[in-house]
Amino acid sequence: MAIISAEKVKFYYENYENSDNQGNTPQKPVLDSIDLEIKKGEFVAVLGHNGSGKSTLAKHFNAMLLPSGGRVLVGGRNTADENEIYEIRRMVGMVLQNPDNQIVSTIVEEDVAFGPENLGVEPGEIRRRVDEALKTVGMYDYRLHAPHKLSGGQKQRVAIAGILAMRPECIVLDEPTAMLDPKGRKEVLDTISRLNREQGITIVLITHYMDEAAAADRVVVMESGRILLDGTPREVFSHVDKLRQVGLDVPQPTELCYELRKHGIPLPEGVLTAEECVAALSMLLEETYADN
Amino acid sequence: MIDITLGQYFPGNSFLHRMDPRVKMVLIFLYIFSVFIPQNWVGLGLAVAFLVFVIILSRLPVKLIFKSIKPIIPLVLITSALNIFYISDGTTLFKWGFIQITTKGITTASFIAIRIICLIAGSSLLTYTTSPTTLTDALERLLSPLKVVKLNVHELAMMMTIALRFIPTLIEETDKIMSAQKARGADLESGGLMQRIRALIPIIVPLFVSSFRRAFDLATAMECRCYRGGERRTRMKQMKMRVPDYISIVVVLAFAAGLLGLNFIFKSVL
Ligand SMILES: Nc1ncnc2c1ncn2[C@@H]1O[C@H](COP(=O)(O)OP(=O)(O)O)[C@@H](O)[C@H]1O
Ligand SMILES: [Mg+2]
Repeated sequence: MAIISAEKVKFYYENYENSDNQGNTPQKPVLDSIDLEIKKGEFVAVLGHNGSGKSTLAKHFNAMLLPSGGRVLVGGRNTADENEIYEIRRMVGMVLQNPDNQIVSTIVEEDVAFGPENLGVEPGEIRRRVDEALKTVGMYDYRLHAPHKLSGGQKQRVAIAGILAMRPECIVLDEPTAMLDPKGRKEVLDTISRLNREQGITIVLITHYMDEAAAADRVVVMESGRILLDGTPREVFSHVDKLRQVGLDVPQPTELCYELRKHGIPLPEGVLTAEECVAALSMLLEETYADN
Repeated sequence: MIDITLGQYFPGNSFLHRMDPRVKMVLIFLYIFSVFIPQNWVGLGLAVAFLVFVIILSRLPVKLIFKSIKPIIPLVLITSALNIFYISDGTTLFKWGFIQITTKGITTASFIAIRIICLIAGSSLLTYTTSPTTLTDALERLLSPLKVVKLNVHELAMMMTIALRFIPTLIEETDKIMSAQKARGADLESGGLMQRIRALIPIIVPLFVSSFRRAFDLATAMECRCYRGGERRTRMKQMKMRVPDYISIVVVLAFAAGLLGLNFIFKSVL
């Protein structure tokens, strides 16, 4: 079942810089006929060069932006329907890149309560949800801390808790790890993959880290407002040339095998992780050794 | 780094921390006003004793209270000095040219010094035992009758909360930008006034740009979390007056009335 489906979505930013002098809408759409279906419980990574339209697409998933053409359905509700906006934003939570700029309150637990408070949830229930959400992301012990004293990874986990407290079905994360150190990155990634696995929450992760994408169920590659590739990480990362053409990398193990294969060394395609790479290489070495 | 003591919440679970913030706010204001009632040493002593009692109730480190008083010591000294030199009635203790020190001058100066200290310590008790958000919340609820005159109290409170949330972030950022500009050879400490102001431009401009960026991001984040202003919004922390709050109201009212009464019993020393 699809939780989010984009049907022929076209989008123009209708502001001055993008318009010609007569104030007409620009010629080139930022999103150009996007067809995308995200299924319940999926973990989808979205890759793409800067300016390829990832953030713009993400903002269509929770009715922050409305399509100029086509439509977006979230759990069967049209994002263009005024009456459904808040239900859609509850269902699809969004975590942004800069951990500092999305925390509203001066105390962690009060920030986590912000979403459910806006939804008009009853106070006792908010308390329960806040505690549960903070425990889920492992920040319960910090519930009375000031957010500005936390590390980047901790702030992002608080932001995730703030979304969880709204009981979402899907979380869209727009480069949540781009400003974090490796430790913070790992904390955030572990948290989201656990949410996906244990609670069945659908995850849409926009990232420019290939290893993060390799861990997803599905990878979507965007280029100039279109979807270039869409498939399992194995399928997508086998198109090394195509990805390089649009300025993207592939995971390092994939790249290593690809380069070796190009030089005539018989390695399998679609190697994703370091373990797989090691296994393939050692098998190859054993074979050559046996042959001699 | 600049230390904004007022507005620095010190988490805890004391009687004061658990009080209804609205009651706490009103009572502390009442206390601050009543510090100006006593005209005699007994009353002033009582006011100080009451403050000490409340500080003990708050279980705050005494160090923290002194820290809040420290910045106003110059102010206290200047006002006291002015009073000592300007008041000329009472018994003269010392006279040199037109400078004259009288008993009355000393008494008045001490009264003023003690009152200012009580005022600051009292108000810092409020900010130490109440998180800034709770404080704005309480203010929002106390001012909510003003909705009648079309004042959007919720938005006002939200702005205060956000300001409080971002002050430390912006201070940190200012520090960073200053270091970055210094590393590029910017000289922020020497030169005349105009030169120094000009030296601040490369700090203020990036700070402004990034603040707008932050404001834009925050607005997006708030909308993503279903923010739609004050209506239909509930709060996790309910404000409920409990027995201790009622008792506190009675005690503080009795205290203020007592101070008034003492003014009749003892002769004014001012
Ligand atoms: N608010 C905006 N107004 C006008 N143009 C914008 C705005 N936001 C993004 N764009 C343009 O839309 C395109 C896609 O941007 P974006 O969705 O942010 O890409 P990505 O997230 O993949 O880097 C870019 O060319 C960008 O310049
Ligand atoms: Mg982006």
